[in-house]
Amino acid sequence: MTNKKIISVILGIMCLALTLGIVVQIRTIKSTNSTIGQNQEANDLRDEILRYKERYDNKFKELETAEKELEQEREKATQNDTELKEAQQKITEGNKITGMTEVTGPGVIITLSDGKGVATSTLNPSQLIVHDLDVLSVVNELINAGAEAISINDQRWVLTTAISCRGNTIDINGERIGAPFTIKAIGLPEYLAGLERVGGYLEYMKQDGVGVKLEKSNSITIPKYSGVINFEYLQNVEE
Amino acid sequence: MIKYMKKGKIAMTITIGIACFALVTVMTMQFKVVNETDITEIENMQESELKTELANWKNRYDEINAQYEDTMQKVEEYKNDEESNDEASRLVQEELEQTNTLLGLTDVHGEGIVITLKSGESETPISADDLLIIVNSLKFAGAEAISINDERIVNTTDIVNILDGSFIKVNGQRILEPYVIKVIGNQSHMESAVTGNGGKVEELQTLGHTATIEKDNDITIGKYNGEIKTDYIE
Repeated sequence: MTNKKIISVILGIMCLALTLGIVVQIRTIKSTNSTIGQNQEANDLRDEILRYKERYDNKFKELETAEKELEQEREKATQNDTELKEAQQKITEGNKITGMTEVTGPGVIITLSDGKGVATSTLNPSQLIVHDLDVLSVVNELINAGAEAISINDQRWVLTTAISCRGNTIDINGERIGAPFTIKAIGLPEYLAGLERVGGYLEYMKQDGVGVKLEKSNSITIPKYSGVINFEYLQNVEE
Repeated sequence: MIKYMKKGKIAMTITIGIACFALVTVMTMQFKVVNETDITEIENMQESELKTELANWKNRYDEINAQYEDTMQKVEEYKNDEESNDEASRLVQEELEQTNTLLGLTDVHGEGIVITLKSGESETPISADDLLIIVNSLKFAGAEAISINDERIVNTTDIVNILDGSFIKVNGQRILEPYVIKVIGNQSHMESAVTGNGGKVEELQTLGHTATIEKDNDITIGKYNGEIKTDYIE
């Protein structure tokens, strides 16, 4: 081959790559443009959502401070009475279990990501995606393995937590989260790591082509619940 | 080789090299951006979705704000009542009761529905996964308390098949058919969570299992009977 031919081929390949890049670029811009910009009302709504998110975040921080103060005051008020002191300790312990305070401890971190494989005739593309029920099953297995606290992408698993599908994302505690899903669990790491056993749900997901990773850790921090549990229909039975 | 090349050729090779490098860099950046374009971002939501999302955040802000006010009030009460042991005692008992309610350690009552499930004789029996999905749907619809065959659902409840599905354990306790699921919450929300298109109870019926749903204006759900202990969380 002469030098000229080689150069032509190289130039040809470059042109092709360039065209490809430009096409991807234009398509991204197109899909972004179609939802951003044009519509003033939608933009106002976006601004307002962001404002409320910010107000919420600020208030959440204030609440965390207030709760610490409450605990201090409660401790102070109960320090001279054995019975009250016991009640105070039960409240503090209970808050950790119900998800009302941040907790730390040993455990595992499981990461589930959508499979990158190419769907073939034998492989359903839907199998490559992490679904709401996959996350639910993993949480259920973690509890079965003795998990004492669990979070999914930093959303604490509490009494009222449900996992629901919302288009390409899932809805947990009223927040939308997308893959990859990071599931943290505190408990005996050796037991929790048992989720990787043959015949377990994680192995089943791996076979489907979903990205599954499990790491043990000596110190995991799981945040407090980001919402408030209010009861509207339920009352305690008077003793 | 080089000494046979003309100067122009060297310059051209270098130029093409640089161009290639630049192109690859730009494309790498581009693909990264495309990859990172986050579908969860509000940028991509439609107007009706945005309205729902705004209502959601307003609601969450109001809730957290009310919780904040409530906490601050308790702090004040504790501060003011330091002298009086009776007042402190009342406040602590009140807080403890709230905590126990969240832990599922109290008997509760209220309006709701009772779902009764029995496997069809020639069908694959109802599995732990079916019950798990029903509980999840009920929670998503706002259930405030749930029990299956009087096993209270708490936040550390697991529902698993034992011995390849020959029976089901809830909270580590074996439960037998028929499965009776009691739920406290808005009756119509609870019912529509498990019926209609995609509702698990209706799906089970279609598969040949027996299912009934009854509304009840005053259901009592017993407390969690197990021992709640923690060894690892701090």
